[in-house]
Amino acid sequence: MSEALLVQEAGAAPAVAPASGARLFRRRLRAQRAAFAAALVVLLLVLVALAAPLLTAVAGQDPNTYHPDLVDSAAGGVPIGPFGGISADHWLGVEPQTGRDLFARIVYGARVSLGVALFATVLQITLGLVIGLTAALGSRWVDQLLSRITDINVALPIMVIALALLAIVPETFPRPVLIALVIGGINWAGTSKIVRAQALTLKSLDFVSAARLSGRGKWSIARRELLPSLAAPVITYAALAFPTNIIVEAALSFLGVGIKPPTPSWGQMLTEADTWYQAAPTYLLLPAGLLFVTVLALTVLGEGVRTALDPRAASRLRVGTKRTRAGTKQTRVGTKRTKEDAA
Amino acid sequence: MRQPSVISRRVAAATVTLVLAAGAAACGPGDSKGGDSGSGAEGTPQKGGTLTVLNRNTQQDFDPARLYTSGGGNIPSLVFRTLTTRNREDGADGAQVVPDLATDLGKPNKDATVWTYTLKEGLKYEDGTAITSADIKYGIERSFAPELSGGAPYLRDWLIGGADYQGPYKDKKGLDSIEVPDDRTIVFRLNKPEGEFPFLATQTQTTPVPKAKDTGTKYEEHPVSSGPYKVVTNENDGERLVLERNPHWSAKTDEERKAYPDRIDVRSGLDAAVINQRLSASQGPDAAAVTTDTNLGPAELAKVSSDKKLAARVGTGHFGYTNYIAFNPKVKPFDNPKVRQAISYAVDRSSVINAAGGSSLAEPATTFLPERDSFGHAPYDHFPAGKTGDAAKAKELLKEAGYDKGLTVTLTHSNAKDFETSPEIATALQAALKKAGITVKLQGLEDNDYSDTIHDAKKEPGFFLAHWGADWPSGGPFLAPIFDGRQIVENGANYNTGFLNDPEVNKEIDEINKLTDLKAAAARWGALDKKIGEKALTVPLFHPVYKRLYGQDVKNIVISDWTGVLDVSQVAVK
Repeated sequence: MSEALLVQEAGAAPAVAPASGARLFRRRLRAQRAAFAAALVVLLLVLVALAAPLLTAVAGQDPNTYHPDLVDSAAGGVPIGPFGGISADHWLGVEPQTGRDLFARIVYGARVSLGVALFATVLQITLGLVIGLTAALGSRWVDQLLSRITDINVALPIMVIALALLAIVPETFPRPVLIALVIGGINWAGTSKIVRAQALTLKSLDFVSAARLSGRGKWSIARRELLPSLAAPVITYAALAFPTNIIVEAALSFLGVGIKPPTPSWGQMLTEADTWYQAAPTYLLLPAGLLFVTVLALTVLGEGVRTALDPRAASRLRVGTKRTRAGTKQTRVGTKRTKEDAA
Repeated sequence: MRQPSVISRRVAAATVTLVLAAGAAACGPGDSKGGDSGSGAEGTPQKGGTLTVLNRNTQQDFDPARLYTSGGGNIPSLVFRTLTTRNREDGADGAQVVPDLATDLGKPNKDATVWTYTLKEGLKYEDGTAITSADIKYGIERSFAPELSGGAPYLRDWLIGGADYQGPYKDKKGLDSIEVPDDRTIVFRLNKPEGEFPFLATQTQTTPVPKAKDTGTKYEEHPVSSGPYKVVTNENDGERLVLERNPHWSAKTDEERKAYPDRIDVRSGLDAAVINQRLSASQGPDAAAVTTDTNLGPAELAKVSSDKKLAARVGTGHFGYTNYIAFNPKVKPFDNPKVRQAISYAVDRSSVINAAGGSSLAEPATTFLPERDSFGHAPYDHFPAGKTGDAAKAKELLKEAGYDKGLTVTLTHSNAKDFETSPEIATALQAALKKAGITVKLQGLEDNDYSDTIHDAKKEPGFFLAHWGADWPSGGPFLAPIFDGRQIVENGANYNTGFLNDPEVNKEIDEINKLTDLKAAAARWGALDKKIGEKALTVPLFHPVYKRLYGQDVKNIVISDWTGVLDVSQVAVK
């Protein structure tokens, strides 16, 4: 995992959010065509996930109904018909061996894949914020303790820990919630490091000192003065962590400790499909392709968010300014400098 | 009563048996009459060449005392001869037991408690020394040594004094219940009638071991051969095993093993997908290759079925094996026979079979005994579910049982990717029972945890997936461990998962064990199975079918109903 890279990229975002706020951010985001397209793709996927029951009802299918008549039992259960049994009833064909409708499983799978990743991201960001802020604002002793815990957390191999945790928790615990808890619960260290570092910088700035001198409490300062300024790096980090979490969920399901059948998730579908790549390629390509598109879209969007929140990169976008062609050169210089900073 | 330590070995039985049996046979359509009719390379088999065996599991503990085999195993049988062995014929004939080192199947006394064997003349080890009955006695005694454990529990259970014997290293006097009046005679004294002793005598524990050459736990590195091949290389505990001709073996004393290739090169530790890929490509040495432990999976079968040339190189066989649903009648609501019957009616065997790999890899089962003559299979279907389940009848029974508003139950299964007790089968059942108003919650356990749980009388779940394989092709080792009330083990590995302790059933088991006429015994086992089936303690789901690829130069494919897989002792590569 590119944990270090994420930290670095998020760190490159400024501590202080652009003064003009949300509207400027939206304009800057829209100015990046790739990010805009990615946002549309993500929006579409989220809509599909939310509307899964509706979509499957329209298709007249159900993700868990077996159709033994649609597979060739004598040939190992390969779907009958071209492209994995695509038909008017089964828009994306059927699953080998069971004959379950792939369209229904894909859209329901989107709910799990996106839902788990979203919940895990929210959890890891929240934990990171709380721990990072506590470390920055607490006494030296608290800071030392939390920072060392964070260091240990960074060093933990997430997959190994997740495998162990998922194997020991009883089956009765709702699986998607558990996976989100595991991913979010052991992956917060990146956020907490950024938050602590930025909060320490901010603490010494005048407006925070002024607030402190006016007698406001620590948590009031944290909420009113620090949090708004931390928004940019944290949102950037979250946008980049979200696709990573989708992959982690898929990997856990692929390793057999993730979502349990019959609930579909893309990762779990990949597991089932891995031996079928020659006999029924669409079965493998559908979840694999969707995972690829989703993660790519989210990553491009995340990159777009980062750029939009970065005042140095913002100049390149020429939003809200009337730069001439000559300004373009300046932008290039600006870009270069950003890279050097990051390095 | 069995000792826990003895019983626990049987846990491994089904799996290990399968693995080793699988090693024995490999190609040719199971129902074909001629041995090589399915082979890609026609013509009379010739001597010579090297046969390569591509396997997943290593030939570990290659010591006749430690191997757990059905009928002497596949590769082990090339090196180890036994008192009796399996008939190396296609199909049902191959499920018969025939003499090997002995001149006949053994002479029982009147109540089948004393068995006497006479050895053939001119039997020799790989060093040319003569094989004596004392060596067979010593070989069996070794298998009682704790450091050489691994074999089946039967000898310990059946021989007088077997339960307490600790092997020849600790007890120099030996086991009194095995007598050797002269060099060619051996007598076994059993503590109860066992008409199927000739089947037990096929296991590698009856292989002669010369006492002077015994090196204890190191014997497995170079066991002294009595068969057509001797071990020349044994690397990494059987990961690579190279066998070459044993010049002192004579076909005159061995009617079963053909031994065509000059050399056999066993390479293990390979991935199943790699093995099947190499066998289908059949390039270089792989053209003369077989596997003794890897079946085609559903997806691989789908690919092979679409290629006629490849499909001609697939051997099909049946091993005595049943996959079933087991109930624990101590757990509610499965104490109610009507609930168990309702589930029996509701199962959809078509979708279960599809989940297991389709109709080519599994056959629907309504009887507990496999559908082979040697088991004495008597057809019955007490709770006819048809192809896809009878939801209406199931609902009716549930109503009678007081569950007219539906029922929620938990089905325990393993998370192993084996298409047997795995999640695919469980979800197929879940979907079928839903139609009958039964909501099934799935409880998947990690594989080891799963077998520990279902075989622990105290932890056993109420409703779970199970399977059973035969130690030899007869009703005895199939029914007795599961349904004999005296085999219920409260502390330790219990296989009587339905806790059936019916005096009539127990008595009939004892009566059948007295029979030395194996055909008559088979018929009685079949009738007993039919009777036990009425109790609905299990729901038989399917019997697996083995399909395996072999290389294009491989000839003389023999697949018996004993092992269900190609017999390496029959294969030729020229």
